[in-house]
Amino acid sequence: MKKKGATAWIITEEHVHRRERYFMLDRDALVVDQDRDVHSYNIHLKLFVDIGRPGRQGEISKKLFTALPLDEQLDAAIVAAKQTDHQAWSLPLQFPKEVPDIKTSDPRIAEDMENVMAQLTQATGKAVARPRESRFNSAELFLSVHDSELHLSNGLRHRSSQSRIYSEAAYSYSRKKPNGAVESDEYLNTRWAVNLDDLAIDRLFDETADRARHSLDTHKPVTGHYPVIVDADVLATLFNNHLSQLSSANSYHGLPFVKPGDELVKNATGDLLTITLDPSLEYGADTGAFSESGVSQSPFRLVEKNRVIATATDKRYADYLKLPVTATRGNVVVEAGSLSHEELTRQAPKVLEILQFSGLFADPNTGTFSSEIRLAKLYENQDGKNVKTTYVKGGSLSGSFTDNLRAAKLSRNRVKRSHFSANNSRGEGYYGPEHILLSDVSIVG
Amino acid sequence: MANSTQTQRAALSSDLIALRETLLGLLPQLEAQPSWYASIFFERKRSKTFSANLKQTNIADQASAGVVFRIYDGYTLFERATDDLSAQNLNRTVAEFVQRVKNSPHPEGATLRAYPAPSWKDRLSSGELDPEIKNQIPADVTARTPVHFGIRFMEDPRKLDAGIALEKLKALLDRCQKLAPESGLKESDLTYVAARQTTADEESIFIDRGSVLSQTLLRQALTVITMSESDRTHLRVGGLGGLEAIEVEENELRTLLKDLAALKSAHKLTPGKYRVLFGPVLSGVLAHEAFGHSQEADTCARGRSKAWELYASGEKVGNEHATILNNPAIFETGGKPFAAWGSYFFDEEGWLAQSQVLLDHGRLKAPMTNLTSALRLGVARTANGKRESWANGVYTRQTNTYFSPGKKTLAGLMSELGDGFLALHPAGGMEDPKGMGIQVGISYLQEVKGGALTGRVFKGPAGGDIQLTGYTPDVLNSIVDKSKIEFDSPEPDKALHPWNDAGGCGKYHKEFVFAGCGGPYMLLDQVILG
Repeated sequence: MKKKGATAWIITEEHVHRRERYFMLDRDALVVDQDRDVHSYNIHLKLFVDIGRPGRQGEISKKLFTALPLDEQLDAAIVAAKQTDHQAWSLPLQFPKEVPDIKTSDPRIAEDMENVMAQLTQATGKAVARPRESRFNSAELFLSVHDSELHLSNGLRHRSSQSRIYSEAAYSYSRKKPNGAVESDEYLNTRWAVNLDDLAIDRLFDETADRARHSLDTHKPVTGHYPVIVDADVLATLFNNHLSQLSSANSYHGLPFVKPGDELVKNATGDLLTITLDPSLEYGADTGAFSESGVSQSPFRLVEKNRVIATATDKRYADYLKLPVTATRGNVVVEAGSLSHEELTRQAPKVLEILQFSGLFADPNTGTFSSEIRLAKLYENQDGKNVKTTYVKGGSLSGSFTDNLRAAKLSRNRVKRSHFSANNSRGEGYYGPEHILLSDVSIVG
Repeated sequence: MANSTQTQRAALSSDLIALRETLLGLLPQLEAQPSWYASIFFERKRSKTFSANLKQTNIADQASAGVVFRIYDGYTLFERATDDLSAQNLNRTVAEFVQRVKNSPHPEGATLRAYPAPSWKDRLSSGELDPEIKNQIPADVTARTPVHFGIRFMEDPRKLDAGIALEKLKALLDRCQKLAPESGLKESDLTYVAARQTTADEESIFIDRGSVLSQTLLRQALTVITMSESDRTHLRVGGLGGLEAIEVEENELRTLLKDLAALKSAHKLTPGKYRVLFGPVLSGVLAHEAFGHSQEADTCARGRSKAWELYASGEKVGNEHATILNNPAIFETGGKPFAAWGSYFFDEEGWLAQSQVLLDHGRLKAPMTNLTSALRLGVARTANGKRESWANGVYTRQTNTYFSPGKKTLAGLMSELGDGFLALHPAGGMEDPKGMGIQVGISYLQEVKGGALTGRVFKGPAGGDIQLTGYTPDVLNSIVDKSKIEFDSPEPDKALHPWNDAGGCGKYHKEFVFAGCGGPYMLLDQVILG
C-alpha cells in the first residue's frame, strides 16, 4: 500500500470461524437450545501520518471494508489521522527471517471443527448422564479458530492461527427443609482453553456437580482477617492486571509504575515471586511470535525473586523513553513454590480457601481486589492437622496485591489458565502455581 | 435544512434499504419446512472514538456489520451468521444453513414448541406502546410494510468534525488542570487526565413472516478520568440521541477533582453493618443485580434462578419500596431530551420495546424473555433478546433497570440518613440468581454526620473498592425510603422515567452488552459493607 501522506501502517486481517451450542434439559432430555455457526472477516488498519511538526505524528485505528472503495477509506483515514497528535515513533527496522515454531492452534479444531463439536457434544451428554446427587442445569460449548495475518509497511508479513475453546457447566442441588420448604443453590464453572487437552471436560463437570452438592452445607464467614488460599484463576487475573505497572506505557503516561530495582511486593517475607512473560508457551492464551507493532517476541523475565529486573517496552515506548525494546506480550509464567495444596491448608489454625468468587474486581492501579464469596472451604487445624472442614458462602473479601502477598506461600503444582474477552483481541494466559496462600486478608461476614 | 437545535429523526442508511430488499427475498428459502419459524437479523455498528490525555490525542474509527439467519424448528434455535454481504454469499449461506438444519435430528424425549409469529394486529394489541414507537408505525401497516424507527436527536453527531472533537477534549483536560488547585490538588498531584468521546450509529433490520422492521440509534458517550498516583475518579455521561446527550457542566468537573483530592487522604472502612444512601447509579446496580439477572427467563429456563420458584410461590422478597422495572422504551431519561443508554425500539429478535414491572412491592412478576426462553417457560415475550454483536448468541438481557421512584427529595433523604454514608460511585456488581446472594461494588463512600457531608472519604478495608454483600431479600427489606425522579424539587415529578447511566453488563462472565442503570436515590439501613 502506497498512499501520499501515510508514513507507515500496520494491517491485521482476521478470519474467525465459531461454532457454539447451548445445552439444557427438557423433561430430562438433554437438548441443544441454540446451535450457532459464524464466519467473520475483519481488516484493521493502524495508519501513521506526518503532521508537519518535528517529533510528532498522527495516528488512527480504522476498520476497512472490502466491499467499499479502498481509496476512499484510506483518504478518509489520512485526513482524520492528521487531526491527531502523538510523539513520533517508528516501526522496527529489523525482524527475524526465521519465526520460531510455536503451538497456538489445536490441529484437531483447525482441521475439522464440526467433528470436534460432535465429539464434545457427545462428551457433554455422557457427563450429564452420569448419576449424581446434584442436578444438571445447563452447559455451553464454544469453539473458534482465529486465522490472522499481520502486514507492516516495514515489510513484515506474518501468519498465525489460534484455536479457542470455552465450556461451562451449571449444576444445582435442592433439598427440603424441616418446615417443608425447598432450599436450593447452584454452582457454575467456566473454563477457557486453547487446545482440547487443557479443557478436561469430565473434570469440569465432576467438580461443578460436587461443589453444587455442597452449596447448601454452608455458613457465613465470621468477620476478621484470615490466611486465604486462592486458585490459579484468581492468580491469572491478579498477575495479568498488576503487571501493567511494570510496563513502559504506564511509565510514559504517569500511571502507577514499578521500576527495575524495586521490590514487586514491599518487604516480602514469604515465597519470593519470579515472573516471566512467555509468548512461546505451548497453547497459551497469549502465545505469539510478534507484538502488534511487529516486534519479535521471546520469553522475557520481569521479576526475579521479588525484585523487578526489567520494564516491558514495545517499540513505541522504547523510542519515547530511549529504552531497549523488549517482549510485551506473553503468558504470565510464575515459578512454583514448595508446598502441596494440603500443606497450604494447614499453615494456620484457620485457613479459608476460596473455591469461587462471585465477581472478582481487581484494580490494576491500586493493586486491590474484592469480591463476594460464592463458595469457600474453611479448614480448622490443630497441631498442623486438619480437625474440621466446613463450607462457607456469603460475605466479602477485600485484599491488596502488595499487602496480602507479603507472606504468601505458593503451591508446588503448576497449571495453565487461559482467558479471552470481547474487548481484547489477545487472550490472557497464565502458567504457574495452582494455589497461593495469602496472609491477613480482610473478610466480612 | 434543519438547524442544529431542531429535533430530527435518524433515517435508515440508503445502502441498507437495498440490503433490506435482498434479505426479504431470502426469507422464503429459510422457511423451507412448514413447521419452521425463520427470521433474519442484520446489524451494523459504526463508531468513532476520540480521545485525549496529557501526552496525545487519538481517533479510532470502528465498524462491524453482519447478518444472522435464524431457523427455529420447534426444539432448537439454529443460527448462521456472516459478514460477507455479497448476494452470492448470502444465497450460498442460506442454502447450506437450511441443509444443516434439515440434517439435524430432533432431540429424543423433548417437547415440540411451535412458534406462530405475531401479526401486526397481535403486536399492536399486546399492551401499551410508548408514543415514540406507536407514532412511527404506519396506520395501514402490513406484514411486508417496512417500518423504520429512528431515534430523535438535536445536534447531529454524524457531522462532528474530528479536529473540533479533539480540541473540545483537550479543552476539558485543560479545564481540569486549571480547576485542580481550587479543589485542593497541587499541580503535581494530577498525574493523569484523560477524556474520551464515542459517537456511534447502530442500525439493525429484523425480518420475519409477520414484520419488516428497522431502527437507527445514535449513541453518545463521554468519559473524563482524573488520577493522582493510584487514586482515580471518573465522570461518564451518555445516552441515545445527538451531541446534546454528552454535555458536561463545570461543577461536575469540580466535583470530580474534589473527590480525587479527598481520596488522597481516604480512610479505610471497618467492615460492618451501616446506614447508607445510594445514589441513582448504585440503586440501579442494586436493581440490576437483585432481580434483574435472576428475572432473565433463559436463566430461569436453565433451572438456574430462584426467582422462577419465588414467582410461582408468591413469596415476598422485599418490602413495600422494592419495586423494580426494566424498560427499553425510555426515550427521555430523567426528563432530559435524549433516550436512556439501554433503550431501543425493538430487540434483536424483533419484539417491540415496552416497560415491564419485574418486582412489585416485594412480589415477583413474570420474567423478561427472549424467544426460546418464553416458549420454554410458557410466559409472554418481552423485548429482551439481546446479543453482544451479530457474531454472538442471543440471551435474555436487561435494558434499563431501576427502582420505581419514591416521594422524598435528596435533602429529605440526607436528613433521614442522619449518620452514615453517601455512595454515589459504582464499581461493578454480580448476581447470584440461584443462591440469592448479591454483590454491589462501590468505589468510595462519603461520610455523613447529622445529615451533612463531613468531607471525609472511605475506601474498602484493603484500600480498594467496597462491596455491599448479603442475601438479596434481606437487602431489599432494608430499603428505608426512596427519592423522587427530580430529587432536587419538592414539586411532583414531571419526568416519566428516571435518569439512567451509561453502563454495561456481562452475563455468565462474558457476553458484554450496553445496559442503562439508574433510578432514584435510595436509603438502606443495616447493610453489610466490607
